[in-house]
Amino acid sequence: MDRRGFLKTSLVVGGTALSCNKARAQEQHDPDEFVGILVDTTRCIGCRACEVACSEVHDNYVPDVVNDGALETRRKTSDKQWTVVNKYKTDKGDVFVKTQCMHCYQAACATACPTEAMKQMQGGPVVWRGNKCIGCRFCMVSCPFEMPKFEYGEWNPKLQKCTMCFERLEQGQKPACVEACPTDTLMFGSRLKNLEVARHRIYSHPDNYVHHIYGENEVGGTGYIYLSAVPFEQIGFRTDLGTRPYPEYTKEFLYAVPMILFGVPAFLLGLNTLTGNNKPPIEGEFDSEFEVTKHE
Amino acid sequence: MDSFTYVNIFETKGLEYLLLLCFWALFVYLIRYLSTPAKKHKDSHR
Amino acid sequence: MNSNVAPMRTFGDFFHFFIQELKPRGPWITPFNVISIPVILTGVVILVYRFIYGLGSVTNLTQDTPWGLWMGFDVVTGVALAGGAYVITFVVYVIKVEKYHSIVRATVLNGFLAYCFYGGALLIDLGRPWNAPNPYIGNSFGFSSVLFLICWHFLLYMVAEFLEFSPVIAEWLHLEKARKFLKSLTLVTVVLGITLSMLHQSGLGALFLMAQPKIHPLWWSSFIPILFFVSSIYAGLAMIIVEGTISHSVFRKLIAPNSHHSFDEIIFGLGKGAAIVMFVYYFFKALLFIHDKQWEMINDVWGYWYLLEVIGFVLVPALMFAFGFKHRSLNIIKTAAVMALLGIVLNRLNVSVIAFNWYADVHYYPSWQEIVVTLMVIFSELWVFRWFVTRMPVLNSKH
Repeated sequence: MDRRGFLKTSLVVGGTALSCNKARAQEQHDPDEFVGILVDTTRCIGCRACEVACSEVHDNYVPDVVNDGALETRRKTSDKQWTVVNKYKTDKGDVFVKTQCMHCYQAACATACPTEAMKQMQGGPVVWRGNKCIGCRFCMVSCPFEMPKFEYGEWNPKLQKCTMCFERLEQGQKPACVEACPTDTLMFGSRLKNLEVARHRIYSHPDNYVHHIYGENEVGGTGYIYLSAVPFEQIGFRTDLGTRPYPEYTKEFLYAVPMILFGVPAFLLGLNTLTGNNKPPIEGEFDSEFEVTKHE
Repeated sequence: MDSFTYVNIFETKGLEYLLLLCFWALFVYLIRYLSTPAKKHKDSHR
Repeated sequence: MNSNVAPMRTFGDFFHFFIQELKPRGPWITPFNVISIPVILTGVVILVYRFIYGLGSVTNLTQDTPWGLWMGFDVVTGVALAGGAYVITFVVYVIKVEKYHSIVRATVLNGFLAYCFYGGALLIDLGRPWNAPNPYIGNSFGFSSVLFLICWHFLLYMVAEFLEFSPVIAEWLHLEKARKFLKSLTLVTVVLGITLSMLHQSGLGALFLMAQPKIHPLWWSSFIPILFFVSSIYAGLAMIIVEGTISHSVFRKLIAPNSHHSFDEIIFGLGKGAAIVMFVYYFFKALLFIHDKQWEMINDVWGYWYLLEVIGFVLVPALMFAFGFKHRSLNIIKTAAVMALLGIVLNRLNVSVIAFNWYADVHYYPSWQEIVVTLMVIFSELWVFRWFVTRMPVLNSKH
């Protein structure tokens, strides 16, 4: 979008100004560049400060972190809580994993939404907008991580999921969970920078990490990326999702739609003309037999 | 996790073409079967 | 049927006539009424409850299973079963096979009503139905969405079906000029209707393309749209056979005696068509079976369930259609039609509900309220269908 606007203005301003603009644009931070959060699970101590911060900022259910013993059970995010931390027992000790919407860069939910209620905002966060939503729950069907949660108990239900604190990002703040994290498990920044940091950590401590960044290529790349000391399937990640962006699964079908709308009516009308106008009815295989039986 | 090995994505193509041959054989048979109602049977019905 | 033969000159005349026609006719205590009225009333109560306390209060839907019986049966299956309208209009109006002309009106009416009621079922299932006009108006076009496409196609197709049926309404109202004009639109609406049907029948399959990791691999394929389209053809044919058979015995009085025999011939023709389409569909399934190397998954409960669907309810009815046609047995063809319909129900429910999230610990099953509302949708459609059939020249068309 911005690039197109930029091109337009540069056409107006002219050739010399174009080169000036270009130089300036490269210096500034590109607002279109995707941001994300790096989660280094080797650093997480399971304090769940992120859960509390998230719920406080978004008026959701604030868990009693000290007493509820929630780490002993396996939890999923819900319509009351946008992020949860789970504990996994592995051969490298207890591993704590924060889960929330992954903010895919080619988001299945946003592609699925018939009203653009689920929308990829500038910079990558995927946000739900209630005034547009019809509550069809197609986003829930499509999301490979099953992250959008529906309020089944409300007459006026909302879809609840992490927004990467989009409203805070707009004000230049960091997401609430990142600010609350006491151990630097969470790191907010541009996706490029996050990937570089992640690779740097893997290469400088090759024995501490599996050599894979979850979310680098999964489902075409996600806003949240994860580092881990143990294989990802051991800490609750699906590793069978593939690297193909999910919207591409419907790409061919949606391409075919206008093609069929061009072609088929013409084909049908042609067929109709070929079979001739106002001709006597074509004899089916049984019409003759039918006549025979009728005469009897 | 991220290993590079050869995966033949057309592994089953030969079998698929065999299936196609079966289909055509059976389809021709089906059309021939359906093109002539069993007259004898019909007569015995009455 | 119409006592009021004089053409209507004023709106008052029309209003009077319309009120007369709205009044119920015939006996009230019939088996159908006795069963359907309580179900419909219960359904209404459930819906009131649902709109006050939310979807979760009456359905078994969960965060893992966002679409249940209402979406899987009412919408996805119901639309497939309504496929007869586009198939039969293609045969009669595009390639002009006059033999099937006598069933066009009933089939188109059925298709139109099915879409109205299944579109309505979609509204029940929406969490925020008051926003439902959003895909149609203004700033909220989700062009990238398959569901957006389906929303539009449902609407356009309903308009097309209504226009195809409208000459009958004009005939009912004795509006000869309007009837001639509406009749002249038929070919255009038929062509449009067939094209739209191709797209939204396959589109209902395309809804599940992005659910690839959640649907059991035996049912998910990138060719779901094509499978859904092809199976909707024979679903429509089988539905005409079943629905026509029931209509012909229930509304016996409305049908000219000699057309009963021609209807048998129509059934044979439809059965032959269904046999061929199902045979092709079966081989589509076989091709996918080989391409995705699905034999590796066939030796467990899901595999047996898959075989039951594909062999028991596709291949067997296909052969029964062929056998019934060859040996002129109406009973075999009608049994095959019922089995083919069951196969469609099974297939659509498998894709949308049963094999969806198949690995989940707690599996979804519909609540009794969901079943009652589903029955309510079906029964109310039948009520409206009966109203149309007993008032308008649907089954006893003169042409």
